[in-house]
Amino acid sequence: MSDNPLAEATVERVAPPAVLVVFGASGDLTSRKLMPAVENLALRRLLPPGFSVVGVARTEMDDTSFCEHMQAAVQKAGGGGEEAKHVWDSFAGGGFRYVAGDYADPETFKKLKDVLDELDEQRGTAQNRLIYLATPPDTFPVVVQGLARCGLNKPANDDAFVRIVIEKPFGRDARSAEKLDAIVHEAFEEPQVYRIDHYLGKETVQNVLALRFANAIFEPIWNRRYVNHVQITVAEQLGVGHRGGFYESAGALRDIVQNHVLQVLALTLMEPPSTFDPNGIRDEKVKALRAVDILSPEEVAQNVVRAQYRAGWVQGTEVHSYRDEEGVDPHSQTETYVAMRLKVDNWRWAGVPFYVRTGKYLPKRVTEVAMEFNRVPHLPFAMSQAEGLDPDALVLRIQPDEGITLRFGAKVPGQAFRVRSVSMDFFYGAAFLEETPEAYERLLLDALLGDPTLFIRADEVAQAWRIVQPVLDGFEEGDLPLARYEAGTWGPPEADHLLDRDGRRWRKP
Amino acid sequence: MEEPVVTTLGSWEADDVTVAQVEAALSDLRHHEQRAAVRTSVLTLVAVVKTDAEADAARAIIDELGGRHPSRALVIVAVDDEPDAPNGTDAAVWVRAIEREGRAVCFEQLLLRVRGKARHHLDSIVEPFALPDVPMVVWLPAGLPSPGDPLMQAANRVVVDSRAVAEAGGDVLTRSLSLARRLPVADLSWMRLEQWRSMLAGLFEGALNRPFLQAVDRVEVCGNHGPRYLLGGWLLRRLELPASRVELRPAEHVSVDVHAVSGGRRGRFRVARDGAEREIRSCVDIEGGPQLEQTVRMRQQWPSLALASALTRVGHDEIYEEALAGARELRQAEGGR
Repeated sequence: MSDNPLAEATVERVAPPAVLVVFGASGDLTSRKLMPAVENLALRRLLPPGFSVVGVARTEMDDTSFCEHMQAAVQKAGGGGEEAKHVWDSFAGGGFRYVAGDYADPETFKKLKDVLDELDEQRGTAQNRLIYLATPPDTFPVVVQGLARCGLNKPANDDAFVRIVIEKPFGRDARSAEKLDAIVHEAFEEPQVYRIDHYLGKETVQNVLALRFANAIFEPIWNRRYVNHVQITVAEQLGVGHRGGFYESAGALRDIVQNHVLQVLALTLMEPPSTFDPNGIRDEKVKALRAVDILSPEEVAQNVVRAQYRAGWVQGTEVHSYRDEEGVDPHSQTETYVAMRLKVDNWRWAGVPFYVRTGKYLPKRVTEVAMEFNRVPHLPFAMSQAEGLDPDALVLRIQPDEGITLRFGAKVPGQAFRVRSVSMDFFYGAAFLEETPEAYERLLLDALLGDPTLFIRADEVAQAWRIVQPVLDGFEEGDLPLARYEAGTWGPPEADHLLDRDGRRWRKP
Repeated sequence: MEEPVVTTLGSWEADDVTVAQVEAALSDLRHHEQRAAVRTSVLTLVAVVKTDAEADAARAIIDELGGRHPSRALVIVAVDDEPDAPNGTDAAVWVRAIEREGRAVCFEQLLLRVRGKARHHLDSIVEPFALPDVPMVVWLPAGLPSPGDPLMQAANRVVVDSRAVAEAGGDVLTRSLSLARRLPVADLSWMRLEQWRSMLAGLFEGALNRPFLQAVDRVEVCGNHGPRYLLGGWLLRRLELPASRVELRPAEHVSVDVHAVSGGRRGRFRVARDGAEREIRSCVDIEGGPQLEQTVRMRQQWPSLALASALTRVGHDEIYEEALAGARELRQAEGGR
């Protein structure tokens, strides 16, 4: 298809006519994330007039109740209101359809095909489909195979598209990820597959790229010569809540490290891409992940800490131990916290340790990348004059209060010469006064527009599992004892020892 | 120099809120104010008080700190209610800018009233608001922490006022000493004594007077309980005197007399506030030698200045800790007499 000359130089491109097909339409992800994203895109006039949604799920429902149900869910998630009323009015006129059925039943897909054909005819959706798998991961193969059997995996002509969005987790381990990929690739070509990690849709994750590659002052010091070590923290202030059952089979390593943490790590490690196109960035991310050293079983024992929360106080509220949560085995060995020391074998990062940690019920919700720089080679002050001086640090804060912080030494005003660290803090939101799109909104639009830059390619998934698998093996073989930490603290003492050993300590983000 | 002007850029308040709601409100206030895009901070300051009146006083002092110690300040009223009162937090948040000569420094102030058992777990409320990369200083304007207070584990430094605590009774200096062994402590009473200490030290500058410090015969310290013990303890340890040579006497105003003999001559070195006038008189009286006298105006003793001074340091104040240990020795010696 030729480019649209009118779309050139417009700030935001409107999605082409298409149908969003959501499997798992009665689920939580659809009501809390996908539908609010659809409403927002419509409010921002980024969806074309005939844009339609087809929900597929087992629950019996008709088109009207599906539309009403979704509208109510969006309102509950903080959307709706007077402004959004016309959006839903226009969807109610045939733009929201629903197919009830079992994913294993070929009839479900036949009904879906009929609905899609009707929409193409009635609403001009031009045989373009964005298929979204918002279902539990064990249903992915059956849905993919069902789509293929009905020919819903292939575009009807050269101008049409069929894309499939797959939610994490991409497998439970390296082997199952490989198997899932093989099934997906039997039905879809890789360019049709959009693996979503909503972290990449966050404005500030993308800002890591802007900060690094749009500024001349940061990149020259972004290497082993200046950086002493890097700490990546993905801390959650919530416990597992009602997701105990799911969490028991996942744990922090699969739930957060394999995807969010390693994605942030890849953006931190990667070399500058020559172009800002999808493969330019993703090629560099894969190269970066490939350079992360694989831990041997002995190294796993020395460089990884796993832990689970005990009862404690979080944000002024007394909370249960993990083992007392709903749906959790009272003797559970599932980790709610992981800390790791990673090594990167390449020219830029050799010798620089990367400490990563994630956990539930930590004191605050924060995601950040902190680079601590080497100390000056000689400090021309007495110890007492510089007692409050820490090494310089550059912190990229991804959430909340997205921004960057630079810590450096400054003289304390007054006659005495004393130096201490100060923190200069730049807050993105306040600088631009623009409403930043929610991650799902951004990614949904990118998928509709056919821009896979912020989606994860098959080889990235494989590289992430390559790093995580030996750790997972260590967990499963019982090589690594499960430590306990009090909810509301920054993790177990064992995690502190991991850094103490190197003469360092964790930041309090 | 122009007087600084404090402007409120935005504010929010609500009752019975969660910490997450307060965080969201704070973030929202900054989001909608371009002047708040850059914030310079040197610390997170947490003041813990028991009443609304104490909270107002603490907030007024924090306002006066102004651009000198740009910080995120939390004033927490740990409401002293029934032991089984339900948990709850009321919050008010302000984003402010202090502007002087065209430059603005933004800072945030939070007032949290905490009820129920949560007031014994303030660390869990404070930590989410702690700024990264800068120390967290806990200021207790009228108390000392109880043993095992988890808030102290989150703090990098604690600021107390032994004079204010002494007014409420109790063996303040011993408790302060035990606190200072665990955590760097700044005592505002000690900060206020700084001008006395520097003036007294100044009397021994120079080759003529310095030798007297090697032969101190007797020291007399007068004043209220806290200051006289702190100054007495300081002199005891700094001059390595036995407790029997340090005399402490209650008095309304502080005075310090050092009696010494050097080269066969007696010398008396005195720093004193003699009357209601806010003046300090220092005298040197050396037998057969110079008799010098100087009177200076006492420095302003605004609470914000003492607090500002306490916030400039980050590590242990070893001289203060020595003075506390000396004060305890003096008390023990008194008990034995």
